[in-house]
Amino acid sequence: MNNLVLTIALPLLGAFLLPVLMRLSQAIGLWLGPIILGYGCWLLGNLWFSDISLPLSIAIGGFDAPYGINLYLDSLALLFAFAVQLLGLICWPYALNQDTARRQALMLLLVASSTGLALSGDLFNLYVFYELAAVATFGLVAASTTSAAYAATFRYLILSGIGSVLTLLGIALIYSHTGTLNLAHLAQLAPELLHDRLGMTAYLLILIGIGVKAELFPVNAWVPEIYATASSRLSGFLAGLLSKLALLIILRLLVLIFDQPEAVQIVLVLGILGVISGEFAAWRAKDMRRMLGFSSIGQLGIIFIALSLPDERGLLALLALSLHHLVIKTGLFMLADGWGGSLERLTGAAKRSPVGAALFTLFALSLVGVPPLPGFWAKFTLITELAAQSEPLYLIGLLVFLLATVIETSYLFRIVAKLYSSAETTTNQPEHQNMPGLSLATASLFAITLLAATVLIAPIGDGLQAVAAEAKNAELYIQTVIPATPGGQL
Amino acid sequence: MAPIELLIELTLMPLIAFIVGMMMVLMMRRIAAKIQRRIGPPFFQPLYDIVKLHGKRTQVSHGLIHDIGIVMAMGGYIAAETLLPVPGMNGIAEKGGLITLLYLMMIPSLGLALGVGQCANPNGSIGIARALTAMLAYDIPLVIVIFGVAYAAGTTNLVEIIATQQAGGFATWGVVEMPLLAIAGLIAMHASLGKQPFEIYIAPAEIATGPMVEMSGKYLGGLFVMQCFQLYTTSVLYVSLFLGGGTTWFDFLIKSFLVLAIPVSIAYLFPRYRTEDLLRLMWKWPVMLGLIGLAFVM
Amino acid sequence: MIFSLLDELLIFSAATVLVALILGRGLAVGWMVTILYGGQLLVLLKMAALGYGGNPIASELSLSVMGQDLSWRFDALSWFFALITLVAALLTSWFSCGEWERKFKQQGGNVWLFHLAMALNVFTMLILLASGDLLSLFIGWELVSWAGFLLMAVAGGVATNAAIRYITYAVVGGMSIFGGIALVYAAAGSLQYEAILIAVEKMSTGQLWMLVLLFGSGFGIKMGLLPFHLWQAAAYAETPGPGSAFLGAISSRMGLFAILLVLVKLFGIVNIDSLKIPFTLIDARDLLAWIAVFTIIFPTYTALKQNDARYLLAWHGIGQGGYMLLGLVTANSLGAAGGLLHVLNYAACQAALLMAVFAVMHRTGAADLNKLGGLVTRMPLSFLVLLTGIIGLAGLPPMNGFVSKWLVYRSLLEDGMPLLFLGTIIGTLGTILSVYKLIHNMFLGQLRVEHEHVREAPWSMMTPMLILAGVIFVTGLLPGIPLTWVAAALQTIGLTGPEITLGGIESSSGSLDMIWVIGVLFAGFGIGAVIFYSAGPSKRVHQLDNYAGGHFLTADVRYQYSDNFYSGLMHLIRGWYRGSFQWLENSITSLVEFLSLGMQGIYRRANSEFYLLSTALFIIAWVVF
Repeated sequence: MNNLVLTIALPLLGAFLLPVLMRLSQAIGLWLGPIILGYGCWLLGNLWFSDISLPLSIAIGGFDAPYGINLYLDSLALLFAFAVQLLGLICWPYALNQDTARRQALMLLLVASSTGLALSGDLFNLYVFYELAAVATFGLVAASTTSAAYAATFRYLILSGIGSVLTLLGIALIYSHTGTLNLAHLAQLAPELLHDRLGMTAYLLILIGIGVKAELFPVNAWVPEIYATASSRLSGFLAGLLSKLALLIILRLLVLIFDQPEAVQIVLVLGILGVISGEFAAWRAKDMRRMLGFSSIGQLGIIFIALSLPDERGLLALLALSLHHLVIKTGLFMLADGWGGSLERLTGAAKRSPVGAALFTLFALSLVGVPPLPGFWAKFTLITELAAQSEPLYLIGLLVFLLATVIETSYLFRIVAKLYSSAETTTNQPEHQNMPGLSLATASLFAITLLAATVLIAPIGDGLQAVAAEAKNAELYIQTVIPATPGGQL
Repeated sequence: MAPIELLIELTLMPLIAFIVGMMMVLMMRRIAAKIQRRIGPPFFQPLYDIVKLHGKRTQVSHGLIHDIGIVMAMGGYIAAETLLPVPGMNGIAEKGGLITLLYLMMIPSLGLALGVGQCANPNGSIGIARALTAMLAYDIPLVIVIFGVAYAAGTTNLVEIIATQQAGGFATWGVVEMPLLAIAGLIAMHASLGKQPFEIYIAPAEIATGPMVEMSGKYLGGLFVMQCFQLYTTSVLYVSLFLGGGTTWFDFLIKSFLVLAIPVSIAYLFPRYRTEDLLRLMWKWPVMLGLIGLAFVM
Repeated sequence: MIFSLLDELLIFSAATVLVALILGRGLAVGWMVTILYGGQLLVLLKMAALGYGGNPIASELSLSVMGQDLSWRFDALSWFFALITLVAALLTSWFSCGEWERKFKQQGGNVWLFHLAMALNVFTMLILLASGDLLSLFIGWELVSWAGFLLMAVAGGVATNAAIRYITYAVVGGMSIFGGIALVYAAAGSLQYEAILIAVEKMSTGQLWMLVLLFGSGFGIKMGLLPFHLWQAAAYAETPGPGSAFLGAISSRMGLFAILLVLVKLFGIVNIDSLKIPFTLIDARDLLAWIAVFTIIFPTYTALKQNDARYLLAWHGIGQGGYMLLGLVTANSLGAAGGLLHVLNYAACQAALLMAVFAVMHRTGAADLNKLGGLVTRMPLSFLVLLTGIIGLAGLPPMNGFVSKWLVYRSLLEDGMPLLFLGTIIGTLGTILSVYKLIHNMFLGQLRVEHEHVREAPWSMMTPMLILAGVIFVTGLLPGIPLTWVAAALQTIGLTGPEITLGGIESSSGSLDMIWVIGVLFAGFGIGAVIFYSAGPSKRVHQLDNYAGGHFLTADVRYQYSDNFYSGLMHLIRGWYRGSFQWLENSITSLVEFLSLGMQGIYRRANSEFYLLSTALFIIAWVVF
């Protein structure tokens, strides 16, 4: 089982070796990253289909939990770890020159830290990986050398830095109060020690801090600018996956430690505000990538609303929405590779790239939630669950969600109409960007995934339900990590 | 009922309507003459007119629809008469009822409108536009009146409406029970005849008699026949709704002629309204009266 | 697995979509698709027992997704709507074959996309009609909405804008229904009809109100009920000819189908009747009835102002939906039968009318009522079809529209609703006025110089039009035939139909026998014709050979009275058109624009770090104190 560590260690090692190896041989430099990621995918994929009984906890360094460091692997973690490696492979900056070496190294670092985020079983490691991921993203974002990119990165840097400090503060508070950072151990102690004002403060600090990456309102101001300037592949990775990993941390905290109504309500309120602000802002966006950024904020807001739901079906909705958004948003960002910039330039673009336009339409349809595409089922699970709550705030969430869908349709299909419009603007014909073949192929891959999921919706639904049930089970988590103590006490 | 008997009724009813209608035209002309201090036409003048018009040597047609329009104008009324009970004859009144009758009465107007349209004369088209506007004006109070009567009687079957009034005597006549509706109905009926001051779609001085502008010979003759039927139908319908119909032919005819005499007498005293004034008038007074009357019925 | 008839129908329909998709760029695809629609119709006719009270036919296909069971089945109501859908599809598709297609292609249209969109519309409508539970109903509903969007957007240009407007409205409706479904699910724990029926009985008034409003407005948007009607006219009118006829005939009625299923069958008229609006005398049912009446009046009088034949008819389409809803809301045997029968009658009329208009457009290139006239001499058969259609649409005997409207009037009379009755009559009068304007400005009056050599529409277009005209007349003459289906359909939603005879209905308070009515009418015409034609021959003259009251009309200056046709009327009522609904729509758009600007402002600000810090400080302060 120690293979699992390799999925973190190898990319990490690769990240440091790559710049050196690149000097020795271009070929090694070119192939090292994909090979490492491919191996990671294979490893995790194997694990999924092997008959190992999940969940399991892996102690690192010889000490058992709660004193040692552990990796926690349940279906949810495995799913996300696999998604990280795969998406890393897909969003890999394939190119052959010295300039990309740094980018490739940073990408490996990002993948390593992201996998760590998915698997870590204690708060401190989570923080470390989180910081690593942040550093990697700074580097990657700054790699596009325009002044706008620098400004955006700088802003991101400051926000992210403040976020880290807050997170650290929160973790420190928890540690000072409980003396442990192991999640399972904390879960045991939480009812006594952390369900008070101090615990709440720690939670809030961590929420806001981690929320920076999860595009949580109001600490998401970096989103539109970064997505507008960074490369589409990177934006796809950030919007599609990194945000979800940050979300995963918050989910673990909520399930294991801060299982309190106040904690959940704050997430709900911030989620609602995120939906409103994101979707409305996207409605007027004049630029493809900014629009996708705002839309991503809105979607994450919806996912936060799902996060605030108390029971298993809520978690199912969360998972379904997250995975759906992962596929769609990354796919859309791939298309933005060719169609970035002003929306006006897209007039009649379907003629030049019919496949791209068709993919955009497909993604838009699923994002809006047109049955029988998977987006519909995710949204259906969410709203039935929202309506089932007695708290009126959830009904507001429902209302906002429905409103957001209308606005989303309005702006997405304005673009679709523009794509298929035959009225060419002949007067100031801008340079036609051609859709890069690689991006198109990648986007097609996502579309195929989407269509496959449409057909296989019933088994996928059942699978996710099982994952959700497992992840929601705090008792199981504790038992897995600290098996010696049935009943809970150390 | 035996089919032969029914067939005889169906033949007689339009025929009687036509003859009475001609007498009503005569009455109208005589009243006009009295008011204008003239002698007026002889008794058979309407018949002479119809025969003369149909016998003209020059008949100008503007096309097939022009012809068909006239046929529809006459035929629609002929059909409508079989739904209008007269003393001793019910025809097929029970198979259609009041609403069907009202809608059948629109067929001649539609035929006329089509025929005039085919004539390609702008004056005719303007006339039809005005005629339809007038219909919109007077039908609204008329519908209120019809609704009130039908609702009060609990049926749309004209035979039953008449029978109820006759069984209860004068006190149960519509005009006694529903005086406001009766007044509103009278005004609406007057407008539906298209006589002054509501003759906006004829308006000889403005649009050269509107719908009639291209009509000559048998075309005008057809319209003359239509007018006979129209006068008859309107007044008999009013008699059936408000004056208890007729137990015998005598009182039936007396009532019908008297009812018709009122609008006709008024007609020759007034000049013509403008179109929008007609709408305003119709939508104000008779509607108001009708609604109040309806409130009493409900 | 043994396929049921329903499965056969759906597979057939899906195959049609595939044929249109794959072979759509080949030759004669129009004919192929048309034949396939015919095949679908045959399968549907094999299910004809449904129309006479047969047992529902279930599909073998059922799914279970995320704990939700989905099933599909056909009952009498579905069958009735499916019949209209497929006949409309067959005839409109027939209309599109051959010459129309060629011309469409010449003008830069995408024939492949058009046929595909049509086939998709039919397929999705069948799925919707077959839905066996609330979730499959919603899935079908959304599919129909988006398929409609595709068909509307095919033409591009102005049509795209109309389609975008439509889809925004449709999504508002869809989300409203989605929310309703969520609430129903929360209350009933299932989306199966049986469970919902039980749950409805236990619902509080507030809950029921909420659901009636959500579902009512959601489905109402598709029907174009006030105040959600603005999208419809342009969206339907700008769709390519046959598509427009198809959408006009049946698309909106899917909303009525859903209203019947959810509001009438599931929630129950009695329950809706018990929902009072506080401090007033009216309840939810009255509210629906009044919405229906205003939906008749306002769009009809908007139609009166239109100068484009397509728009005029499309606006009427909205208005006619009001009659159907009104009849069904009265829920007595006459009204419900009338409302449902009007779906069929109206579909036949509207399809025939739009086809006639598009046939004229095909030959002359114009649908502008001020640029046509006198075409009766050039296109007599199209004139005949249009005439049949307008008589039906206006609801005059001897056509079918009269029967359904008569039933609605009678039901209002019986229930003692004078103002609603008056409203319907006002609507009918408006219809008569505007359809006369339509036929006069297109076919009557003076023929324009440029149209002197126009030919009659080709037979590929003429045949389906004539068939429809036949349907309009026959269902008017023998309303008993469709009324039987209507009665069976009413039974599935818990209403009873009237006593039916072949020629109409039998009722103690006034019957209707169309065979007699039409019989005497034609006898009357016969006598009229004898009188007229016995009077000697008439001389045919040129159209310009007429009396001009002192002015001379010359051959090169044609004078067709068409613009501002009802000037006297408009002089009075012009001020009453206030565009309030447009204003409402604009102000909502402005509000969204304004909010959007504000939200972008939040993100554009550079001091978000400041928010973050102040939040953190606030939290720490909260802990300390």
